[in-house]
Amino acid sequence: MTTRFGRRSILQMGGGLLAASALLPRYAFAQAKTINYWHTFTSQSEQAGLDAVRALFTAAHPDITVIPENIPNPEFMAKITAAVVANTRPSVTMVSSERFQDLRAMGALTDITDRVSGWERRGDFDDSRFASITDDGKVYGVPAFTFVDWIYYRKDWFEEAGIAVPTTLAELHDAAVKLTDPAKGRYGFGLRGGPGGQNPVINMMEAFGSPVLHADGTIGLDRDKAIEGVTFYASLLKDGAAPPSAPNDGFRQIIEGFQTGQTAMIYHHTGSYQDIASKLKPGVEFGTMAIPAGPVTRVARLAYAYNTITKPEDADAAWEWIKFWGEPDAAVAFLEKTGYFPASTVAAQDQRIVGNPMYAAAAETLGFGIPQPSFPGAAGWAESTVLPAFQRVLIGDATPEQAVDEMIAGLAEASQ
Amino acid sequence: MAQTRSSSKLLWDVVAYVIMIGLAIICVFPIIWTFLTSIKVDEDIVTREMVYFPTRFTFDNYVKLWFQSSYPTLVANSLIVTGLTVLICLLTGAIASYSFSRFNFPGRTQLMLGYLVVRMFPAVLMIIPLFIVMRQVGLLDSTVGLAIAYTSFLLPLFVWMLKGFFDSAPKELESAARIDGSTRIGAMLRIVVPIARNGLVATCVFVAIAAWNEYLFALMLTTSQGSRTWPVGLQLMVGEFQLPWGMLAAGGMISILPVVILFAIVQRVMVAGITAGAVKG
Amino acid sequence: MSRALYTAAPPRTVWESINPLRMIGELSETRYWMYLLLLPSALLITAVVLYPTLYGFQMSFREMRLNRPDVGTDWVFFKHYIRMVNDPIFWLSLRNTAIWVTSSIALEFLIGLTAALALNRNLPGTKLLAVLILLPYFLPNVVAGHMWGLMLDPRLGVINDLLMRVGLLDGYKAWFADPKTAMAAAIIVESWHSFPFFTLLIMAGLKGIPADLYKAADIDGAGPLAQLRLITLPMLKTIIAAAVILRVIGLVNSPDLLLILTSGGPGRSTQVLSLYAFQMAYKDFNFGYAGALSVVMFVLLMGFAWIYVRLSKVNED
Repeated sequence: MTTRFGRRSILQMGGGLLAASALLPRYAFAQAKTINYWHTFTSQSEQAGLDAVRALFTAAHPDITVIPENIPNPEFMAKITAAVVANTRPSVTMVSSERFQDLRAMGALTDITDRVSGWERRGDFDDSRFASITDDGKVYGVPAFTFVDWIYYRKDWFEEAGIAVPTTLAELHDAAVKLTDPAKGRYGFGLRGGPGGQNPVINMMEAFGSPVLHADGTIGLDRDKAIEGVTFYASLLKDGAAPPSAPNDGFRQIIEGFQTGQTAMIYHHTGSYQDIASKLKPGVEFGTMAIPAGPVTRVARLAYAYNTITKPEDADAAWEWIKFWGEPDAAVAFLEKTGYFPASTVAAQDQRIVGNPMYAAAAETLGFGIPQPSFPGAAGWAESTVLPAFQRVLIGDATPEQAVDEMIAGLAEASQ
Repeated sequence: MAQTRSSSKLLWDVVAYVIMIGLAIICVFPIIWTFLTSIKVDEDIVTREMVYFPTRFTFDNYVKLWFQSSYPTLVANSLIVTGLTVLICLLTGAIASYSFSRFNFPGRTQLMLGYLVVRMFPAVLMIIPLFIVMRQVGLLDSTVGLAIAYTSFLLPLFVWMLKGFFDSAPKELESAARIDGSTRIGAMLRIVVPIARNGLVATCVFVAIAAWNEYLFALMLTTSQGSRTWPVGLQLMVGEFQLPWGMLAAGGMISILPVVILFAIVQRVMVAGITAGAVKG
Repeated sequence: MSRALYTAAPPRTVWESINPLRMIGELSETRYWMYLLLLPSALLITAVVLYPTLYGFQMSFREMRLNRPDVGTDWVFFKHYIRMVNDPIFWLSLRNTAIWVTSSIALEFLIGLTAALALNRNLPGTKLLAVLILLPYFLPNVVAGHMWGLMLDPRLGVINDLLMRVGLLDGYKAWFADPKTAMAAAIIVESWHSFPFFTLLIMAGLKGIPADLYKAADIDGAGPLAQLRLITLPMLKTIIAAAVILRVIGLVNSPDLLLILTSGGPGRSTQVLSLYAFQMAYKDFNFGYAGALSVVMFVLLMGFAWIYVRLSKVNED
């Protein structure tokens, strides 16, 4: 029963193969394309959200296969750096706004200004959405979703103590002190002094009048105002309103402290809403408030996650994928799984957002929120100078003056 | 006198038991605790009241991990990388170690130190250049490439450790074989290697464990699921946002399992070998 | 006829002379044999390590900031080294590295030796206990770090709870938030993880000590401690020396455990050199300075190994 190939049939086959191979490259380009996608999603809900978007994308573009690779935040910069240096880039990379300047400066990102301006959904997005992915007039990515800074608070405790929701940082401090009761194991404010705690510190300094990045593009801290900001923020621990573990508390610790009823308020963003709501009753046990105003200005960040093209060879298929995130269907599917805010203004009008009172604080923040300061070296300075310096204040190893001097010196080093 | 000696021996035996049992508890407690955590429901982990003996159990964490982590692929990769690393070390390192142990030649001390020096260059900085080399020769993101990279710091460990075992094998038997007309390589293969067999096994186990546990190189030199190893897979799952403690604990338990099995198998050989070595003394 | 010719020809001896086994046997009698044995491993190490090492060295003399293409990649000679001298974080990291390495080694060696001596008495049940005691070494750093992270967690950690029950603590203690305890806690975790390395090597070494020596010492009336000092430790010298060097290198070079437990915090109280270099390279993207830090680590290690080998006379027969 073996099949015998005659000379003739082999020739025919060979001819067929030749013809096919002549046609194949073009077909392969148009018909079957594989792109790999580096993202920083890790949690269960994020994975589910990504799967939902991919399923919709596959239905719309059966010719393009997306292979996701999850690269969590702590390892992200190291891996993307290595990939850029050795030119083994992924086709598409998810980039958070504070990393944009470093990656652009490294030459990792592809200029997609023309594609974006010709995009039929460009009008769905407010211009400001592209601000933190634009440099020198060139656009390098499409916003996928956004994290809006806000504060989770124990509604029941506030009501029990008869305290109004704070609107200024001074009121926040007072409320935190009042709600602290070490006998009950309760602390007013779940201060994040460990990994990731640098951003609130920078925000506090700005709220007290010392932004890092100024409107004219210059970089620098106003020493006196920065000291005020640091002094204020550290006073939450000094006055006993934050748990003693604050200097090493990271994301997990502040969330767990809040979930288990050990802290009355935590400073985070919309991304952790599902985590909190899985343990405490929304609207009953906990509420959300917009970040209170500082003495000089009100600072809450809108952190956009962008999809960027990191491998120019794959640009056509990659563009299909990154713009797909702007489709209302995809954005809402993602929101349903994760609770993350869509970047598209059209999608943000969805009833599931507008109709949910818990999201009111985020909607309010969209009005005054500002992007994170972004310049080459910003993320590194924040993480390896600001955070340790602030920790030294928390543990009593340095005065706010010394810490701010350290930050100023580090800033000079990073931007020299 | 005999009596005091036996009573003193008894005393020391008791001391030995106290030390061994105490250490065993300290060593095993974290593992037991991790296991308990892995089968607790989340409410019993994230709680204000410590739950020592859970009344509710769940294997969800394992199930989720199995389906979400592509565990089988990750473990298979880890096994392949570990196996290749041991093989390379064995083939190239055993003879080098023998040479250092048996011959006194000009430059020996310097060369031995040279092997150590190799281990000293901080991995943090070797990674980028290594990444570039691996890419040039097409070994990036492959198990072979990773195994070769591991060799760079495990081979010296292998050579140095094995030298100790070769040193303690008596040279007399070898000299006798040489007098009987055996070549050097004959003496090495027929006499020394069998005697140092247990040392070989022990050294291989060390290298295997180090390769299995390695994290930094594996993280940087692999990019896809196809060659990613288990510790990297686990750490990538932990990420920054909420890998629930229960799943993390389950991941920990799963990563210990193959190692414990390997060790249980090898341990008998090791003990047998060590005893045989003791007979000689 | 031709057939007969073929059989009559002398292929055998030719074949024998190119017999690979025989060739190796003959080769093994030459005076270069010891070098030939070293060749494969030396070649491999050269290929995998030499280029990266040289690359790393030259990086330390250049400006190399990945996120600042505008500053270029010029040679800056000793700029990074000069900066290091004036960098308080470098000196702090150096001090912390010294504390981290010496304390961990001391603790690991003491526990490792004690465990090995106890296990070496071969009492009933030793086999099982040995497996349990050696187990921590088998765990990946990543897993060990997270396990202890959970146990030492201020809120959910079992250690705080146990200590409070026993009455040693009044309230929960945040081990990694207090600079006084952060380093100590990290050293304990590290020692827990790595002391079996010493135990295993010392156990193997103990088996090689002739029992006659102890019998003779018994007759001379030397007590157990005297025997330890006069027989056991001197006989284990080579193995202990090798183990110490390998552990020192491992402790100096690998930032993984501290990266998971503290990331150098709080307030740099657990910042060590390897961590500083890692952060400099992959967070600040300053490969030049990170390279210089690595070169200094390397030189320090080399100096240590050289002095240590000299002092412990490992290479004396």
